[in-house]
Amino acid sequence: MLTIKHFTKSYKGGKKAVNDLNLVVEPGDIYGFIGHNGAGKTTTIRAVVGVLDFEEGDVEIDGISIKKDPVACKSKIAYIPDNPDLYDHLTGIQYLNFIGDLFSVSKADRELLIKKYCDAFQITANLGDMISSYSHGMKQKLAITSALIHKPKLLVLDEPFVGLDPKAAHMLKTIMVDLCSKGSAIFFSTHVLDVAEKLCNKIAIIKAGQLITHGKTEEVKGKNSLEDVFMELIAND
Amino acid sequence: MINIWRLTKIQLLSSFGLNKALHTLDVKERRKAILLSSSILAGVLMIAVVSFGYSFMMAMTFEQMGRMDLLLAIMMAVTSIVGFFTTIYKASGVLFSYKDYDLVMSLPIKTSHVVASRVLQLYVLNLFFTLIVMLPAGVVYAIKVNPETLFYLLFLMTLLFIPLLPIIAATIIGSFISWVSSRFKASRMISLVLTFVVIIALMVGSFGLNGNEQVLADMGTELADMIFKLYPLADMYVDAVCSYRMSSFLLFIALSVLSFMIFATVLGTRYKAIHTGLTTSHASSKYIMKPLEASSPFRALYKKELRRYFSSSIYVLNTSIGMILLLVMSIALLFVSSEKLGELIEIPQLSHYLSTLAPMIVSLFVTLSCTTSSSISLEGNHLWILKSSPISKQTILLSKVAVNLTITLPVLVVSSMLLMISLRPGWIESLLLLVIPLIYACYSAMMGVIVNLKLPNLEWTSEVTVIKQSAAVIVSMFIGVISLLIPLGISLLLTHVNGNLILIGIGMIMIAVCLVMFRYIQTKGERLFRTI
Repeated sequence: MLTIKHFTKSYKGGKKAVNDLNLVVEPGDIYGFIGHNGAGKTTTIRAVVGVLDFEEGDVEIDGISIKKDPVACKSKIAYIPDNPDLYDHLTGIQYLNFIGDLFSVSKADRELLIKKYCDAFQITANLGDMISSYSHGMKQKLAITSALIHKPKLLVLDEPFVGLDPKAAHMLKTIMVDLCSKGSAIFFSTHVLDVAEKLCNKIAIIKAGQLITHGKTEEVKGKNSLEDVFMELIAND
Repeated sequence: MINIWRLTKIQLLSSFGLNKALHTLDVKERRKAILLSSSILAGVLMIAVVSFGYSFMMAMTFEQMGRMDLLLAIMMAVTSIVGFFTTIYKASGVLFSYKDYDLVMSLPIKTSHVVASRVLQLYVLNLFFTLIVMLPAGVVYAIKVNPETLFYLLFLMTLLFIPLLPIIAATIIGSFISWVSSRFKASRMISLVLTFVVIIALMVGSFGLNGNEQVLADMGTELADMIFKLYPLADMYVDAVCSYRMSSFLLFIALSVLSFMIFATVLGTRYKAIHTGLTTSHASSKYIMKPLEASSPFRALYKKELRRYFSSSIYVLNTSIGMILLLVMSIALLFVSSEKLGELIEIPQLSHYLSTLAPMIVSLFVTLSCTTSSSISLEGNHLWILKSSPISKQTILLSKVAVNLTITLPVLVVSSMLLMISLRPGWIESLLLLVIPLIYACYSAMMGVIVNLKLPNLEWTSEVTVIKQSAAVIVSMFIGVISLLIPLGISLLLTHVNGNLILIGIGMIMIAVCLVMFRYIQTKGERLFRTI
């Protein structure tokens, strides 16, 4: 579903944010991407979803290069950034309809899915209000809904649990599992190691732009907790 | 007091992409910044030279009349009035609409000092304009009068205070409009309408003060009376600088500084309440799912862009004031014949030139109404939504062009038709009056998009820095005006060639330029959008 090949991204000035990163996310995977602040998680994620331009390496979505056919790739992806800045001048429903239009979601599907997810996140009553009146958590819920209404094959999330209340966080985890059971894949970054350990079937740990370990969660952590493994790997290098 | 300067400095650093240019490590970016600063500097020098020439020509007349003081009086009044009008509509944006409000207001700084720093931002921008106009005028005055050393001292000192009072007056009006609007649910729309009404009313009012052409013909004392009536402080200024009257000098400075301090203190007491009123969104939380309307991606982007446009009063005011003035002027001309107009603005045989001039003047208003030059920068933190959408960048960029044309075309067509009625041109001239501005509307909209792609500013905290002070807006305005001045100059020089032929030639060239730009957006636009 997602193949990252020799991805390298340098800052202006020469410093490498990510260096020669290789990763494969298969259908049905819930892939956790872990690393300390500034390790290169967001840079990688932004390159994967076609927001960040890059020169070295390639990213393929379902076998299509994001460099060669970005529009085809993006139609299969849904992305939720760590701080979802949405259009404050639109109402919630206008925003969802806008995303539905951009992803050419049928009228019937968008009405059904908007209702399904907004009811689940309990924001249906707020959809007529301007996004500027939303709290951070409500914006996050709206962004998640907008990502789900076009039934993405690959869901890419940057710190998705930040700002969500416990109920919404639980709901999101359920949705993630449900989506993967239907053949989609999820690639997400997180600092919450407990969540990653319980939710992800695969994990990658990145440090200072270098992938230091990746694979099935059980193989990466062995008999220890993910937190112990992470702390050890970060300390060792 | 040091905090006022600290806050002002932070705001100014984000203007014109200054901080980015200072700290960028990218050689390409740095080269771009140097090129841009040199172009702006060249533009400023050009305006200063024109200003000097204009002052010099006026000085020759005033020298004959023995009233050289009128040169400084006129220039001071002009800078003050222009500063006043251009500040009214941006005052509310600068004072109340900035993203780091929460951060700034949580700092241990007096509210009145925050207000003062916002007003000082307006002051610095206006001071820039004052210097460009007043310094050449001062030099001309010094050459002609050869004044005492005291003149230079007084002239330079008062220079710093000239923009203060007009800004305060404009900011009082802007704040009052914001205060009234903040009490209503649709505060932004009310603020927008009120600002338009106030600007047009003030302009119509100041035209009324101009008197009749008899006064203009008489010059001398009556001209001085007219200027002083229009802007009473000019009298005090001339007294201080040209007659070295210390009481006037001190009064002028005291009035400027005191009004600034009183304004900052008084507004400081209501500042939070006004800001809260303006920024609070009405939330009913009673939405019930209804059938949704599906649109094509282009239509969806167009609707989103149009909503964005009307959500920002500073954006609307800055880019549509030209079109509104065009409409007001076209309506006014229904009641004035072209011969009478020629007498009024002292251009004999104006009707003879109008066939060439009218399409270019209308085009000038159109190019000044460029919404696209800041439309990409205004995406700011929201750019990820468009970047991660499965839409060709060409569709995104053309939706921005379409919104610009929506703002300009209807007013342009109506105004051109009104001008056809009032000026009664022949059918070819009528056609040109409609077609040339239409071409310029397309040109300006596409050029704005390209310039903004080349000079984006996504890290802004106040919309004003993007809409009024960004490099893209300044450069596209400069290119727009140059694109009109060159053909206008050619048509005025080639008096022996049929004016219609020249206009047709200009039209053909501009169509070719538009086609090239359209192709550029289709090809390079995609790549440029990806890199921002």
